Amino acid sequence: MDRRRFLASAGLAGASLVAGCGSFQSQSTRAPPLVENRPDGTYRPTHVEGMGMAGMAEAGDYMVGFGYSFPHRFWTVTGTDAERVDIRDADSVHLMATVWDPETEMVLPISAGVSIAIERDGETVDEKSPWPMISQNMGFHYGDNYELDGDGLYTLKARVNAMDERRLGPFAEKFSEAAEASVEFDFAQSALDQLSYEEFPETQGERGAVDLMSMEMMPTSQTPVAGELPGTLLGTKKGSDGVYAATWLSEADFLADGESYLAVSARTPYNRVPLPMMSLDGSVEAGGETVFDDALTAALHPDLGYHYGAVVETTGTDPSVGVDVVAPPQVSRHEGYETAFVGTPSFSF
Amino acid sequence: MTDRGISRREFAKSAVAIGGTAALAACLDRGAPDVPEGADDPASLPARQHAWNDALATDDAGNPRMAHHHVLLLLDYEGDGTPTDADRGQVEDALRSLERAYEWSSDGLLFTLGYSPAYFDRFEAGPAGVEVPEPEALAPFEDPAFDTPDALLHLASDHESVVLAAEEALKGTKESVNDHEMAATFEGVFGVADRRTGFVGGGLPAENQDVDGIPDSEPVPEDAPLFMGFKSGFEGNQATEDRVTVDSGPFAGGATQHLSFIRLHLQQWYEQDSREQRVSKMFCPAHADEGKVEGVGENLGTDSAIDECPEDVVESGRREGVVGHSQKLSRAREDDSPTILRRDFDSTDGGEAGLHFLSLQQSIADFVATKEAMNGTDVSENSAVGQRTNNGILQYMTVERRGNYLLPPRSLRALPPADPA
Ligand code: HEM
Repeated sequence: MDRRRFLASAGLAGASLVAGCGSFQSQSTRAPPLVENRPDGTYRPTHVEGMGMAGMAEAGDYMVGFGYSFPHRFWTVTGTDAERVDIRDADSVHLMATVWDPETEMVLPISAGVSIAIERDGETVDEKSPWPMISQNMGFHYGDNYELDGDGLYTLKARVNAMDERRLGPFAEKFSEAAEASVEFDFAQSALDQLSYEEFPETQGERGAVDLMSMEMMPTSQTPVAGELPGTLLGTKKGSDGVYAATWLSEADFLADGESYLAVSARTPYNRVPLPMMSLDGSVEAGGETVFDDALTAALHPDLGYHYGAVVETTGTDPSVGVDVVAPPQVSRHEGYETAFVGTPSFSF
Repeated sequence: MTDRGISRREFAKSAVAIGGTAALAACLDRGAPDVPEGADDPASLPARQHAWNDALATDDAGNPRMAHHHVLLLLDYEGDGTPTDADRGQVEDALRSLERAYEWSSDGLLFTLGYSPAYFDRFEAGPAGVEVPEPEALAPFEDPAFDTPDALLHLASDHESVVLAAEEALKGTKESVNDHEMAATFEGVFGVADRRTGFVGGGLPAENQDVDGIPDSEPVPEDAPLFMGFKSGFEGNQATEDRVTVDSGPFAGGATQHLSFIRLHLQQWYEQDSREQRVSKMFCPAHADEGKVEGVGENLGTDSAIDECPEDVVESGRREGVVGHSQKLSRAREDDSPTILRRDFDSTDGGEAGLHFLSLQQSIADFVATKEAMNGTDVSENSAVGQRTNNGILQYMTVERRGNYLLPPRSLRALPPADPA
């Protein structure tokens, strides 16, 4: 253990003695026991927490906003397994970075992600790359629990990497460079303690989701309503609790003559939060012929949002489409999403 | 080295990390090892500076085992223009003194002296017959600084006191080593621009884990040879010394050398990932499913059983959502053999958990191709695997510095001309 942290925790022990029994709110009270027999799908969590703004800044083509909340438990996903991450004593905050396009206010899930370093007086206090993550009330963000050194002024430094997802239309020329941003974050435990904290003893564990937060300063990630997707909507299907809207574009500024575009928008039920980092296979039959049978590629378009798509060499307008989920979204999950979207369903449209 | 300020953890450094005559004295106070003496005739030593494998100890399975302690000195030539013959003679005499003092082995001392593109800039053309390009960023998600000293000296031994004493002798602060007087030193010829240190071998990472980048729970296994908890460098997963040797031109018998400094962030690795996830990410998901790796991986013997990992890495990543580091890297093989010879070691320089990734290869292009395989950008573009998340061990590292060098053959190791022919 390093000296500083040792002193900090010794101080804390002293404080709790002075405060006596009962009045010292420890973190464990913010993580009620998990729901027993969690359903295999999106469910209402035991509680939700408010979020404080730590700051926002421009970074190249991106905007980056930092929010913070109480340390959380969450689940990382590898393949079809969700692995629970518990809160450590050392964790001070759950830090969330949201990256968006300032022009369209679209939240960008970038597979190359974000690195965060927290500094104070020129020293690194904590540093790691937060996980790409989905949460019912915060949507898609990069998050993890971080360790601070008590109240005071910190510098949050973020490096946002270049996107390697396919970018279409007006996005084609954007987000190809990494960029850095930093904000000053005046942390006070008392401010953290004042964030809202609501438990749902009556409804926890029910199928459903808490609402996405609406924030003044930062957009939240939401895919378009299926009916408002550009092109001809081929249908909306549900599998492993994910919602898949398939749309067919015979015309778009990014298509050449003789080409069409298949887009599959995968989202959570209730809140339409995008489900990034999946492997999808697609097949397209048009005019009695198989015109496409291959992987769909993660892509971004201002009107389609984040989706999986393929340019298909056909002018057919009435395709029949098959979609197989080969691997579920490898994004980490906040409570209520960890049992959903871990399967590999197949659909036809 | 970085602008990150003075680390909170400077106080827990090892003797090698501290360096200097005081650290050497403190180290010898703990007991001076009996170190075998060197060759009477240094000309009897191998023609390749990088001929270390036969001089290394072997582990229980028979793999060459890297020396435990390392010092890297980034050196600048102090003369103006092209080196003089007098300076060449001085460098060669100093190195021969070390070879007389210490056996050419990990129980004695092993070293190499390499030269950078900046060194060759003083000549009319680059080194004859070998490309040594300036270092560059090798992934869109990295932003390294570049090392531009003239030369890189790598000292390695199983004894801390040996690397420290050899360093002090070259700097001229110690007149003799292992009871052998130094006939010459680097004084006036080379100045030290930077000093880096490290260690590798069972027990050392656990002993040195009180650094930034490793959580306070002391998670590094007692017997791990590297901070990340797995054994690396199996004979079957390394290029041979022959494979990495320059085979024609005046520098035949030499090799190219790449040195990067990588910082490690292991809190997620140890406190969030499960053992299964760690094995999936370091080796491949099939190894995790089959429980192929026990403990730090000694049970693997002399190779990481990479042929039991699915060969089509993009397809495997599409199905599994994760790809392993060794699984990805094995794609860079030629004729079923890796093209680089890894001689990397851990570091606590700057109070941070790090790795000096030192590798030898016939051409820097071999390293670049290997690193591209590690980036796994093709995997992330075409599958659920992220560019760093679930993409080998990329999530847990930041490349801070890169440098390229030419290791000439032993006969040309002292301030070589660009075209010795
Ligand atoms: C923190 C850094 C690293 C650690 C802990 C690490 C560890 C490992 C381990 C455990 C293996 C499997 C065992 C073995 O084959 O020896 C391996 C294989 C390998 N690694 Fe790394 N590695 C690191 C960084 C790198 C880097 C930066 C490169 C080069 C770009 C690299 C290149 C390779 C190669 C070529 C193989 C063998 C692949 C084959 O079998 O063909 N490693 N590494």
